[in-house]
Amino acid sequence: MPFPILRTPFVVLSEIINLLEPNEIVTASFCSKNLKRLLKRHYQQRKPLEWRLSIVAHGFWGRVDIGKLSDEYKKKPVLSAKHVFEIRHKSEHKLIQMNGYKREFSSEYPALYFQDRAKGLKMIVEYATDLFNLDVYALLIDGVRIWAIDWINNRQKTMLVHFELKKNICSLDGDEEMDCALRNARASDFYIFNEIVSVNFRFNGKLGPADHLLILSYGHWVTLDNLMNFDFIIIIIVGSRLSVSDLNSFLRHWRAGGSPRLTYLRLHLKTDTILENFDEDLEVVETDEVFKCRFKNGQEFDINGGYRIQRIDGEMATIHFEDGCFELVVSISDIVL
Amino acid sequence: MSSTEQGTSSAAPAEPTTAPESAAAPEVPESFYYVHGKDKVVHKVSAGALQHSALIHGMISNLGYTEEQAKANPFPFENIDGDILQMVVDWCNQHKGKPTPPEDTNLPKQKEKLFDLVLAVNYLEIKELLTYCCKQVAMMVKGKSPEEIREIWMIPTDAEDEAAEKEAKKRAGKEAAGETAAAAGDAK
Repeated sequence: MPFPILRTPFVVLSEIINLLEPNEIVTASFCSKNLKRLLKRHYQQRKPLEWRLSIVAHGFWGRVDIGKLSDEYKKKPVLSAKHVFEIRHKSEHKLIQMNGYKREFSSEYPALYFQDRAKGLKMIVEYATDLFNLDVYALLIDGVRIWAIDWINNRQKTMLVHFELKKNICSLDGDEEMDCALRNARASDFYIFNEIVSVNFRFNGKLGPADHLLILSYGHWVTLDNLMNFDFIIIIIVGSRLSVSDLNSFLRHWRAGGSPRLTYLRLHLKTDTILENFDEDLEVVETDEVFKCRFKNGQEFDINGGYRIQRIDGEMATIHFEDGCFELVVSISDIVL
Repeated sequence: MSSTEQGTSSAAPAEPTTAPESAAAPEVPESFYYVHGKDKVVHKVSAGALQHSALIHGMISNLGYTEEQAKANPFPFENIDGDILQMVVDWCNQHKGKPTPPEDTNLPKQKEKLFDLVLAVNYLEIKELLTYCCKQVAMMVKGKSPEEIREIWMIPTDAEDEAAEKEAKKRAGKEAAGETAAAAGDAK
């Protein structure tokens, strides 16, 4: 039985809109220009402050996701942009020709098909940010969409909170894109890098300040200088090639008050590094105590013994080394990171 | 706890029978009010049930009616169909003095009446019932495409909107011209 929603009083209409999921709002906005205007006006008057808009674009498609605070910001797709090439794999009968693109309704949200991938991604981002009156919160892209960093920096005043450079499945060497991302991406909380870089890749700039730095693969490029200049609270690097001498130097730097915001460092070392002895001047003391660490996302893990080291200002840290994994946890006993 | 009478001149509704809650506490007699919709059928509703409606609650708290006065002056809601008012009264009775659950299984099931029910509930300012009704409306479009939503919510297409706008402009133009001609006639 149809329900003439546009004939309901304003307060009722607003209540119904408030009960819709972001993907349903976007889908409804394609019903007519008039309804889109109405939805847009609704969000201009009541900015959905608890919603977080993310761009997720890698491989053959781009997508806009929205996460809500009530759902722990778990992202759900609201709109996607694909290349027209992908239509060949589908039946065209449900496709609707729009002005400059084709549209279909795919499972729970609209999918738009474009000749030009970049144009498609820009269009869906413009569409969703305009509809919801939101800035982009997170940018998760591969090297092909590296242009999106400058594009986002130029189109909004607020800084990204989360930036992630994903692995480009079409390229074996993302040095240029990685360098561009390290130099130009600005985020206040998370930097995540997963791009493939060559063995010769180096970076001589600064990174941070932000809360988290995660280099989830190909972390061989991170030098001692890089590590000392990174300004983060939590640093995790996979594939690090730092030597025992580098680790001692870093500890010396930390002891002297360097990297003051750092609370947790984890290096998964690629080399067969065996950290048996520390330089004497570091004055480390062996311990067999167990420390529980807890990340903001609720993930918990234990640090079983290791060494204690004291900073010049009296702050303590625990060092743990096992199976090629070096950890430094600042402050001891049941730490909440 | 409601009874329905055909017309305001019908016999007085039966008094509610309630068991005393405890021997110690003296029973406070529940006050009742009377409402009718477009069909003039009078519904007897307790003040407790009517508390759900901010509109009626506001009205009765200022009146200080006795039982006889309330019976002689049923609240007229001429803009609400009788069957819709009956649904509303039933819901208020079912939820009298109870906290409303997040999901309500006592919602009226007739979908074809949902639009009228929403308008009535909004007019009577019954917040919880309005939220439940709006949830039903929102649920209608779950997993639906824009074309399906357009049908379910009766959204005119862009072409239909444009045609309606043209028509409205044309009508407004004619009306303005008519007014000008009438004004000119008056001047003569």
